[in-house]
Amino acid sequence: MERRKFLVLAGVGAGMCLLSPAVYFIAPDTKEFAVKLILKEFYYLKIAPGNVERYVDDFIESNGNDLVSRLKWKTTYYLKLSYHQSDRMRDLFRYFILSTDFFINKTDETKEVHYLGMYSPYLNAVTNPYSFIIYPPETIRDV
Amino acid sequence: MKHEHYDLVVAGTGFASSFFLSKYLSKAKADAKILVLEKGHLYPMAERLKIKRGEASAYQEYERPWENEIRNINKEKEWPFSTAYGGSSNCWWGCTPRFMPNDFKMKTKYGIADDWPINYNDLEPYYSEAEEIMSVSGPEFTPFPKHTKYPLPAHAFTLVDKILHKKYGNLYISQPGARASRATSHRNACMAFSSCETCPMDAKFTIENSGMGVYNDKRVELSYGAEVLHLETANDVVQKVIFSHGGRKHAIKAEVVALGTNPFFNTNILLRSGDNNALTGKGFGEQLGMQVHIYLDNMTNAGGSTWVNANGYMLYDGEHRKQHAACLIEANNAPFDIRLERGKHLNVASFRCVFEDLPNNKNYITTSADNLVPEVHFKERSSYALDGIENMKKQLPSILSCLPVEKLIFFDPAPHEGHILGGTRMSTSRHNGVVDKHLIHHQYRNLFVLGAGAFTTFGPSNPTLTLSALSLFAADKSF
Repeated sequence: MERRKFLVLAGVGAGMCLLSPAVYFIAPDTKEFAVKLILKEFYYLKIAPGNVERYVDDFIESNGNDLVSRLKWKTTYYLKLSYHQSDRMRDLFRYFILSTDFFINKTDETKEVHYLGMYSPYLNAVTNPYSFIIYPPETIRDV
Repeated sequence: MKHEHYDLVVAGTGFASSFFLSKYLSKAKADAKILVLEKGHLYPMAERLKIKRGEASAYQEYERPWENEIRNINKEKEWPFSTAYGGSSNCWWGCTPRFMPNDFKMKTKYGIADDWPINYNDLEPYYSEAEEIMSVSGPEFTPFPKHTKYPLPAHAFTLVDKILHKKYGNLYISQPGARASRATSHRNACMAFSSCETCPMDAKFTIENSGMGVYNDKRVELSYGAEVLHLETANDVVQKVIFSHGGRKHAIKAEVVALGTNPFFNTNILLRSGDNNALTGKGFGEQLGMQVHIYLDNMTNAGGSTWVNANGYMLYDGEHRKQHAACLIEANNAPFDIRLERGKHLNVASFRCVFEDLPNNKNYITTSADNLVPEVHFKERSSYALDGIENMKKQLPSILSCLPVEKLIFFDPAPHEGHILGGTRMSTSRHNGVVDKHLIHHQYRNLFVLGAGAFTTFGPSNPTLTLSALSLFAADKSF
């Protein structure tokens, strides 16, 4: 990893130092960066309008007002980093895709993707993307 | 309490106590008096699920985080357990492989640690009995000898499992598990939510849903909120059990006492009772687990029907155990372990590699300033276990050569496997252990010390089935 990127990911303080204060303070709400990042990452999916925004609201609420995450979304967006360099970013993406009907529809990219509510095995009907409920035994080929 | 004197006093209501009681009751006289002291309370699974859903429950006051129950000196090493009716059946994940025969004779076979004073054949009928009680789902053929069929059919394989099973036969099997593959009279079928700690379906076996009926037996008196402080002994015989209940201290006479709390508390009670066996509390530990992600080229790993789809025994038993630890592979059906690359989301297998470890007296349990809080000192892993990791890293690419592997990602060792083993190890004499082969204390001959604390060595297989079978064995042979 480049030293510059490492410093950004190493902590909020470092990130804020490396970003121009002007850029930081005039930037839109960090929530918007999370939405932009998700739409960019999953550019190949037809996500129902407004669904990513609802997810990000729920994600922020369920994770508390996690300032570190929100600042990292912003720095990640500006520095064009990927989820490979941030566990928080990976979680944001992973929870999003797990919280939709994408896996229930067997990862069919032609179908519109809907947010079903924040991922929870205690609230959602099918939460394991590998589940035999989606892929019954008779559909798994023999060897 | 209803009586001043009991035929049997049992501490705890987890697996060890419940299976012991189950066998004891089948042999006890009709007017037997049994007192069970449970320091937690009944905290039903239905109420636990409410909490998980974000709803209110009056039972939440009974939550007792494990971190508050012990003084854990090494914060990097975690020891989760549940304090409530049913003990850690409330938080286990339902994995029930048997041990391999050589797990019981590590010294004779490999020159490592000690042999158990019992062997696989001694336990075999009790394994079957425990599997029947738990309605274990499992395959027709296993790497360990088995003379009975599993009560429920095996869970479904993924394509990865099928390929590995084809190559390795009985060394790669559907994991025997107490997560029901079909609905039973007391449990629903597993729906692969992979959140077994509090199962959304009530599909895993717990003492609460077991149907064992031991705590409804009219001979049994169950007291909640009762914490054993110590045992009063005279002439190497336990005379009384001293416990607190309702803010008062009680003393109850007992013919026989069985400690069925976990190794931390069994040890604490023994040490506070004057047990001077040099090994009490010494050499406790557990297996070492680490996750490996196997990225697959153009192959999905979907279709599993439970949390652990399969067990791989390719690195388990053999001459390598003379040099380094055995490894049991768990094929996890883990929702979080997805890939984010387009078109490859499910092209990953997630393996938990679980390594045996050796009892080491530098790892020990002792008392603290608080009568009820044991102090836990876990200092180090054995080089035997750590060398097992290195061997796995070398061997795994070859083992997986039948799969289209893109890359392997090795994670750091996990902070726990959810097991607490040793501390009151089983042995042939008091010089190399605390209890005998019937789990009776070498010094106090009317005292059973149950549970995984009695394990002489710490093989890689999950311990619950074995500790449950040991309880059945001990009660059957002793009464």
